[in-house]
Amino acid sequence: MAKKEKKKKLNRRDFIDRGFRVSIGIGLVGIGGVLFKKSKAKEYVWQLDPEKCIQCGRCATSCVMTPSVVKCFHVYDMCGYCDLCGGYFRPEAKNLTTAAENQLCPTSAIVRKFVEEPFFEYDIIEELCNGCGKCVKGCGAFGNGSLQLQVNHRLCVNCNECAIARDCPADAYQRVPMDNPYIFSGYSNEENKS
Amino acid sequence: MKQKLIIGFSLVLLLLVVFLMWKDFYRSKSKVQNNPFEYNIDNLKNIDPDLITYKEVSQLKPDIEDLIAIAIDKKDHIYLTGKNKVIIYKDNSLVSSFNIDSTAYSINISSNEDVYLGILDHIVIYDKNGKQKTKWKAINENSVITSIASTEESVFVADAGNKIVYQYDLNGKIINEIGKKDTLKGIPGFIIPSPYFDLLIGIHGKLWVVNPGRHAFENYDFEGNLISTWERTSMQLEGFSGCCNPSNIAMLSDGSFVTSEKGLERIKVHSPSGDFKSVVAGPDIFEEGTKGLDLAVDTKDRIYVLDPIKKAVRIFEKK
Repeated sequence: MAKKEKKKKLNRRDFIDRGFRVSIGIGLVGIGGVLFKKSKAKEYVWQLDPEKCIQCGRCATSCVMTPSVVKCFHVYDMCGYCDLCGGYFRPEAKNLTTAAENQLCPTSAIVRKFVEEPFFEYDIIEELCNGCGKCVKGCGAFGNGSLQLQVNHRLCVNCNECAIARDCPADAYQRVPMDNPYIFSGYSNEENKS
Repeated sequence: MKQKLIIGFSLVLLLLVVFLMWKDFYRSKSKVQNNPFEYNIDNLKNIDPDLITYKEVSQLKPDIEDLIAIAIDKKDHIYLTGKNKVIIYKDNSLVSSFNIDSTAYSINISSNEDVYLGILDHIVIYDKNGKQKTKWKAINENSVITSIASTEESVFVADAGNKIVYQYDLNGKIINEIGKKDTLKGIPGFIIPSPYFDLLIGIHGKLWVVNPGRHAFENYDFEGNLISTWERTSMQLEGFSGCCNPSNIAMLSDGSFVTSEKGLERIKVHSPSGDFKSVVAGPDIFEEGTKGLDLAVDTKDRIYVLDPIKKAVRIFEKK
């Protein structure tokens, strides 16, 4: 009798009912799995590689934020503390003074401070820097390349498709882990950057 | 028939729209967008041809893994060194070569044709046939010997690590330190941010040392007294820019200085008092980022430029 009941075919209602239950079960397990995987996976953010950067100016103009979240960072360990700083002065500067007409930066975002004869320190005012890269080009051409452009992750809103990455002609933008979001050329000591 | 035409036309139109959308999304990255913040340094790299008074006449291509330093003796033998080797040329022809057991970063030929090699922190002396004569005691762990010059009585060694010039007697004993900061004597001290620190004995027998952090040339007597100095700080041709220039120097028979720079790779001639005279070679003939363009001058005032990237010695003559 029991054997007979076991062999009894499912009717259509039970089949659909059971099918729904199994589907819901698989769906819940799948969603749970995806959420678990996401919670364990590393988050990634956008960053530009200074080695590839060609200082084209698009970091300043393409970012969805105003001013751009790309800023000049100073790797002090690499700096020569030059009096005639190629990142600070225009080539045609007649005197090495802080007069606006001598400065290369269009927003005067670099502060020149006397350290001791003949050394000067250069600090970046983050609020004024628009990420245009003029100073980076000057420092690279005449100095040690201690001024470098980076996406500032205190300011970046981490768009899915970064507008600057899309426009970058050098393909210098890449996704990097959020727990190590900066790429510096030459040095990597976090304490020596501003 | 009319319906088929409409369907066909619509299909073509649809494909065209899809193509344009694809092109817009994936191929529209404009490569010629104007840069409102353009910083054009080409005008510094482009040199007025009238200012270039030398021409490249030939090249030496030595068989050496790393080509680092050059010196020319009084008979115009050209000595080249670098990794594990010294090579000697005369009139563009190979004369001889010998192996050394490490990398030499500087070379000098004494009046009796001994070969002085700067091996990081010490000096090794060979005769011209490659037999090692002596090896002097290492200076200290900070030492980076970047240049050597010698007279009949002394050997002068530029140490970029210790930021000083050591004067040795011919037995390898340090007898004086030259260029240490001394405000009472008016000696400013050497600023050496990178290992480019050159010196030479001038035509009048005095020691000339580059102070690259100050873009200066300092002239000392053999007691270490500063006799004279000149400096030229400028991104233009008349001076030197960046953290440490000129990186290397040589002297012509009239006392003019031949200088090489890094950053803006260029070879120039300055008068004995520092005024810009002419250009030997501009940045256009060097690979961008070339550093360590060591210099030498022969008795005919031909200028020899060691190009470490192209692994060649480039020879320039007056036009």
